[in-house]
Amino acid sequence: MPNIKLQSSDGEVFEVDVDIAKCSVTIKTMLEDLGMDEDEEEVVPLPNVNSAILRKVIQWATYHKDDPPPPEDDENKDKRTDDISSWDADFLKVDQGTLYELILAANYLDIKGLLEVTCKTVANMIKGKTPEEVRKTFNIKNDFSPSEEEQVRKENEWCEEK
Amino acid sequence: MKQSYMQLTWVFHDDEAQINKKLPKELLLRIFSYLDVVSLCRCAQVSKAWNVLALDGSNWQRIDLFDFQRDVEEQVIRNISKRCGGFLRKLSLRGCQSIGDNSMRTLAESCANIEELNLSQCKKISDATCAALSRYCSKLQRLNLDSCPEITDISLKDLSDGCPLLTHINLSWCELLTDNGVEALARGCPELRSFLCRGCRQLTDRAVKCLARYCPNLEAINLHECRKITDDAVRELSEQCPRLHYVCLSNCPNLTDASLVTLAQHCPLLSVLECVACTHFTDAGFQALAKTAGEDGSGGVPFNNRRHAHSPSHGLSKIRETEFKRSLLQRDSSYRALLEMCNNQEQIVASGANAASLSHCELITDEGIRQLALSPCAAEHLAVLELDNCPLITDASLDHLLQACHNLERIELYDCQLITRAGIRRLRTHLPNIKVHAYFAPVTPPPSAGASRQRYCRCCVIL
Repeated sequence: MPNIKLQSSDGEVFEVDVDIAKCSVTIKTMLEDLGMDEDEEEVVPLPNVNSAILRKVIQWATYHKDDPPPPEDDENKDKRTDDISSWDADFLKVDQGTLYELILAANYLDIKGLLEVTCKTVANMIKGKTPEEVRKTFNIKNDFSPSEEEQVRKENEWCEEK
Repeated sequence: MKQSYMQLTWVFHDDEAQINKKLPKELLLRIFSYLDVVSLCRCAQVSKAWNVLALDGSNWQRIDLFDFQRDVEEQVIRNISKRCGGFLRKLSLRGCQSIGDNSMRTLAESCANIEELNLSQCKKISDATCAALSRYCSKLQRLNLDSCPEITDISLKDLSDGCPLLTHINLSWCELLTDNGVEALARGCPELRSFLCRGCRQLTDRAVKCLARYCPNLEAINLHECRKITDDAVRELSEQCPRLHYVCLSNCPNLTDASLVTLAQHCPLLSVLECVACTHFTDAGFQALAKTAGEDGSGGVPFNNRRHAHSPSHGLSKIRETEFKRSLLQRDSSYRALLEMCNNQEQIVASGANAASLSHCELITDEGIRQLALSPCAAEHLAVLELDNCPLITDASLDHLLQACHNLERIELYDCQLITRAGIRRLRTHLPNIKVHAYFAPVTPPPSAGASRQRYCRCCVIL
């Protein structure tokens, strides 16, 4: 199997099966646009991804290499977030910083499946929580003044079950 | 030394949360796009920055309130209308039974860009809702009024005036509707692709012919229980609407093989035909469908049907769901066709279908299920299998399935009287996540319980 070399921002080089690397649309386009041959010893630089994250991304892509391509129509995607596979759930048991780095990497590398599952994971961290619990989870400071807070509460209370 | 100092200042100055600092707005919005209405409203109260994010219009384009509150009050709709405004494109209020015309008028006024609206089972709404939609929502493309019993022809006339872009409409069980309403709708909405009117018993051939005349792009039609329909209407429909791929003629007792023949002649794309209790249909009609498929052997036209099981090499991959219902064929002469269908079921599954219904296939046996289970794609794809009312199958069938079909998610076993609790328990041991729908009568039912019994048991338990 032909491999290509990916270089992380901190200089580490990873050798990856081309087909696995191509689950990143960014890499796929790069290879096509540059007409890079599989035999060439060229190294693809990925200045936005550090080695720790790149290693995780490659691990994810390797596990998911045989997945069917994700459906195109973003329009009709449903909002469910309870469909994360157990492998992915385990894979994403990481600290928040790593999770956000993975989101950024998936976005930069244009790996739809990884972006989807990481965003869903964060969404699940929000769902079912009160505003105060959300603040605690993400360490967000409440910057409303008491009167502002009362006003937004009123504006949004209609969604709560009575 | 230097490093620890750096870390210290970093912590000290870090009053901005990591999530906000690391992720740009568009990625935060992507995360928010997975949130439901309740979560969004709560996020709006977290901080000023999150308030802006949560109220971003992109989050308020598609809303489904079905899981949110069954009894959505008028006030909720008013708030949704205000918050979503022109952003709202898709709204489902399915089952929100307290909603009335007033809130729908507010919604229509505020959300003029709505394209898809599901009002199924909003039993209180009436023609006033459709009048408002007609007046304000000219971009409406899909409207579901399933089981809104107050809707009359006036609604259809209004929709035909104000919503010319309608492509999908569901009017099932709006029992007050007549031919006049359907004629107006068909004239005003030439883009119609899907017209579903289960249980509109007053409709006659005239309604169907109007659809055929004015809506040549029709792809799906459901005339379930439109009992007055005759072959004449089906003939005109087939001739004028060559793109039909889904047709339901169940419980249209006047139809004969002539309908099947015209469908076979004119609708090469037909992939699903439901015809429960069309008692005049015989082998001859179904053979016409099958024959068209056979003649087309060279081409890629995805003609298929239950009947197409005879020539599985073409088109079957288009089927996602196949339905086999008992009353297709009730008379003795037709049992042969039924058997053929059953024997070929595994080929249909082999073509990639992920759901198969053998509901009421009274002659299917454990051997048929074994073949089905053995087909390589059943193992891979089959997620839903309906075997209700298959009285000959036994626990042996379940054993075949549990060995092969690892992706089964749901199985229907109502009224399979030879299936035992022990068999189901074995199945569940192997497939712990499977949903089994079965029903065990507390006492042996009297043998006289015959044709008049309800076909679907309503008092089932989920084991």
